[in-house]
Amino acid sequence: MRRIWAALAYLATGLLTAIASWLALGVLLLSVVILPLLPLTAPLIRRIVDADRQRLARFTGVSFPSPEPLDGPWLHRAQRVLADPDSRRDGSWLVMHALFGTLFGAVAVGLVGSLVQQPFVPLLWWVVPGGIENSFGVHVNSWGEALLSVPIALVLALLLTQLPRLADLDARLARTLLAPPRASLEKRLAEVVATRAAALQAHGAELRRIERNLHDGTQNKLVGVVMMLGIAERTLRQNPGGALQALLRAQDAAGDALEELRNVVRSIHPPVLEDLGLDGAIQALAARCPVPCVLHAEHLGRLPAAVEAAAYFAVAEALTNVAKHSGARHAWVSLGVSGQKLTVVVHDDGKGGADEKRGTGLDGIRGRVAALDGTADVSSPEGGPTVLTVVLPVEK
Amino acid sequence: MRIVIAEDDALLREGLTLLLRNEGLDVAAATDNPDDFLSAVAEHEPDIAVVDVRMPPTFTDEGLRAAVEARRRHPKLAVLVLSAWVEQSYAHELLAGTHGGVGYLLKERVGKVADFLDSLHRVAAGGTALDPEVVSQLLVRRKADDALSVLSPREREVLGLMAEGLSNAAIGERLVISAGAVHKHIGNVFLKLGLNSEDGSGDRRVQAVLAYLDH
Repeated sequence: MRRIWAALAYLATGLLTAIASWLALGVLLLSVVILPLLPLTAPLIRRIVDADRQRLARFTGVSFPSPEPLDGPWLHRAQRVLADPDSRRDGSWLVMHALFGTLFGAVAVGLVGSLVQQPFVPLLWWVVPGGIENSFGVHVNSWGEALLSVPIALVLALLLTQLPRLADLDARLARTLLAPPRASLEKRLAEVVATRAAALQAHGAELRRIERNLHDGTQNKLVGVVMMLGIAERTLRQNPGGALQALLRAQDAAGDALEELRNVVRSIHPPVLEDLGLDGAIQALAARCPVPCVLHAEHLGRLPAAVEAAAYFAVAEALTNVAKHSGARHAWVSLGVSGQKLTVVVHDDGKGGADEKRGTGLDGIRGRVAALDGTADVSSPEGGPTVLTVVLPVEK
Repeated sequence: MRIVIAEDDALLREGLTLLLRNEGLDVAAATDNPDDFLSAVAEHEPDIAVVDVRMPPTFTDEGLRAAVEARRRHPKLAVLVLSAWVEQSYAHELLAGTHGGVGYLLKERVGKVADFLDSLHRVAAGGTALDPEVVSQLLVRRKADDALSVLSPREREVLGLMAEGLSNAAIGERLVISAGAVHKHIGNVFLKLGLNSEDGSGDRRVQAVLAYLDH
């Protein structure tokens, strides 16, 4: 059902942009006649095509980067529009989408419209003199014909279940035209290199954090154990009765060392993810949060370990911030997979004004998420609320 | 013997204080940051300071810096540095331009209380105490460079044990050789490293160790 909704939304918005494409094509034809209009038309086209890119990204869960923005002096822009392969691709998309987007969108909207119409046909046909037209060219002017609405509705519903296929077909077509052309693969490569570098940096920072926790936490605790045992040994030689206290302290220190070690290990890859899955693990986080927190998770199933870990740490960090800085009284976490992406939203009713530059926590989330080709956005106006949205692609 | 401690971990600071006081030593102050440590040294004029390498604010080598600074201000102060791991450059920095009274040990050596007290007394008396780990790091490195190639393998071994702070008798015991043989090897080390002049300045053993670290 969710897939049908997504397909319907995709195709219906596609119908809107297809209509916009027709208009834009009209303006384009006009500006071929009146050439000076061209540099003004190009940004308009770009805007429509970018809307399509976002629509496609929402549906497929894969982001489609826009070409370089058209800016600079007027004459330069005019040259760019004519020479730029991106603009030509935009143009061919406009034509394709005007044709197929209209067709597919009309089918989708028409299908739903006809389905909605069916219950009304038996109710209303006798009101209209001369009967009414129903789908598939059926003319309804008798009870027998009106009852045809039942099979018609069934056929329409059956066709409706095929909408995701139609949407996939359209998306495939769109992908070939809207995805960056080969030339911009270089740009994409640079992005990949940058995110890899960010991932390595995040990895390095993570290793330093672990090293420090082990050295200053766990190892110190173990030195404490050794030291207390040393004291116990010396006391045992001189005054056997007094050694017990040092032994007990050594025991405590050993317990602390184990606790530390558990914490360090948990911070690397939370075992709770293995045991409870992402929604269970985040449920546990929500339960631990000092600010009352409601979790809404939908059919997550098992996701790639790196995605689960990134989502888990993002929520952990966000809830820590909610508890520490937001002054919120409630927090909400929602998790959902649709298409090929996992969307995580953490949202509170606090005072907002989260400054990304101040804490490294949000930076950490962003780095970790970007390394997986996802996005992390924070909206936190003064006065609140603060909303963190993390979107991670899930290749299945 | 009066002692000032600098260790930021509360458990270790208290444990160390307890351990030393149980042995009848005078712990004048136990501090948890470089500034307090330097004021405590100025106030109590201890014989020896026991200092952790990692300390606030950045937890890198603030403790070591404070130890070096304390020795600059109070040249007679002996310093025993404790660390969670060994880093040969730290040892070198500590010993550079000094005449002994310096030790560098892994933290867990504290558990062998008798040995630890031994090192403490030796350093307080102007000797050195380098952790066997530091010495073995140096020995590994020696293979790759020939700065001390003038020394025979046996002489290098003897020098390593001198760096740990062992006495002639202890070196003889460790290598299972006679005291006379140890004496001969040490004489050769001094000779080959140009430490044969009897000008009376400093401890030749310490200078030999410095030469050892220098190369």
